[in-house]
Amino acid sequence: MGGNKNKWIWLAIGAILLLIYPLVITLPFPRHLMIMIFLYATLGLAWNMIGGYAGQISLGHAVYFGAGAYTSTLLLMKLGVTPWLGMLAGGLISIGLAFVIGYPCFKLAGHYFAIATIAIGEIAQHWMLNWDWAGAAVGLTLPILPESFLNLEFHTSKMPYYYIAFGIFALTIYVTYRIDRSKLGYYFKAIKGDLEAARSLGINVPRYKFYALALSAFFTSLCGSFYAQYILFIDPDSVFPLMLSIVVCLIATLGGVGTVWGPVIGAYILIPISEFTRIQFGGGGKGTDLIIYGFLIMVISIYQPFGVIGIAKRFKKKESE
Amino acid sequence: MALLEVKQLTKNFGGLMANDHIDLFVQEGEIVGLIGPNGAGKTTLFNCIAGFYPSSSGQVLFQGEDITGLLSNEICLKGIARTFQLVRVFKDMPVLDNVMIGAFNRTGSASVARKKAMEVLEFCGLMAKKGMLAGGLTIADKKRLELAKAFATGPTLLLLDEAMAGLNQTETAEAVELVKKIRKAGVTILLVEHVMEVVMPISNRVVVLDYGRKIAEDTPEKVIHNEEVIKAYLGDKYHASRRAH
Repeated sequence: MGGNKNKWIWLAIGAILLLIYPLVITLPFPRHLMIMIFLYATLGLAWNMIGGYAGQISLGHAVYFGAGAYTSTLLLMKLGVTPWLGMLAGGLISIGLAFVIGYPCFKLAGHYFAIATIAIGEIAQHWMLNWDWAGAAVGLTLPILPESFLNLEFHTSKMPYYYIAFGIFALTIYVTYRIDRSKLGYYFKAIKGDLEAARSLGINVPRYKFYALALSAFFTSLCGSFYAQYILFIDPDSVFPLMLSIVVCLIATLGGVGTVWGPVIGAYILIPISEFTRIQFGGGGKGTDLIIYGFLIMVISIYQPFGVIGIAKRFKKKESE
Repeated sequence: MALLEVKQLTKNFGGLMANDHIDLFVQEGEIVGLIGPNGAGKTTLFNCIAGFYPSSSGQVLFQGEDITGLLSNEICLKGIARTFQLVRVFKDMPVLDNVMIGAFNRTGSASVARKKAMEVLEFCGLMAKKGMLAGGLTIADKKRLELAKAFATGPTLLLLDEAMAGLNQTETAEAVELVKKIRKAGVTILLVEHVMEVVMPISNRVVVLDYGRKIAEDTPEKVIHNEEVIKAYLGDKYHASRRAH
């Protein structure tokens, strides 16, 4: 099929461009911008697994992000474990959290589920603000270790971070792609479409909701660990904020939920806006990006409820007609 | 041994006895019609058999195994599939994907599910519409898709809840043909139907419910001459017309 072949060519071109980007662009800011895009695109993709495919709107994803950041950091600081193992441990802990959170919350439907996840996110943040052993409100400053891949710390150049972020992003895209085309993806969409019908066709609804949340939590957690290693400082306000949960949801929604590329497009639009307004207005302009986000979301929901990717699909359809 | 055996099944919603100690059996290879006036408890009985409602008391045996209290998805896995009176198609998904979700009941592989779904679409005469979004289908095709989804789960027994309601005569005839074809493919069928004319020609046996109780069970020919059945169906109407005069 010609269309399919074209798709693979575009994908290859995209990947090559992204791989040579840091070799050509040597300034730190453009590299930082791309790292942030990868990070948020991955978060959007992870959120999309539960929120987009399975239709369970979580507004508490910061819990898994924070769990990842704190697990790898605490393991590194208290036991000297390499952040790579810490990242994996964080992912597993987040799967455990997904079970603990999902078990009661999945009994709730629609917006009640969303509200419950907000509450859990808030509880988690306040818990961390008061937990002295884990740094409480002061946060944790990661030890400065010699630059190495094993230590996941690089001080002279952002290039290694770029490739690691790209790697995590590519892995998440790959997993999403596999979900999209497998039994999991179909079952997630069925749960989103009609619960009763899903049950009648043999779908164990609570189990598949948990699978979706566990996958989502795992990849969100990886991002948290990466963030900790990249910024080298975490506190409950930076890794557990409600705003993070909301932004992640916005990215997926703006780009197009329940699709492989929607969240990626969302991140490419929102993150540059956020970074540039931050530079333009500094701390005083905090929230300017959100005003723009809000506006974009309104426009999108009025004119194209399937997100930016929906607009792209419509154009493609017109072309082929 | 009957394929499906319902023993003394009772379901009450508060003070309302929707099903009152109902006994019912379905032999392998049969088409059994479940009929009765509005509110007779047909759909409730279906929901109890298929695990959508927990029954208040009584037992459901399938292939000799007690399936009372199992969840609907577990019952589907055992081999009982159902359709809904108000169709529940996944409207934002293409027809093919709808049927694939059913087919995944028996396989973990997407390619196997797709192949099975294509066979089912061909069988049900929906092949030409496989790429359409289910929400855009006509009522008749939605009903057909509802059947195709359930059939794709690989059932031994198919429960059809008013699969022909709201269809015109031609569409009804086509739907009846499809039901017959599915039976020929080796699936036993229990169907709820409101319209006598639909049930009578295709059913081997007919069970009649009224006010939650079984009032008759016989061959179609005998059932239509049954006093109680005539009263259940025509009694109220008869009284109403008398009062009007």
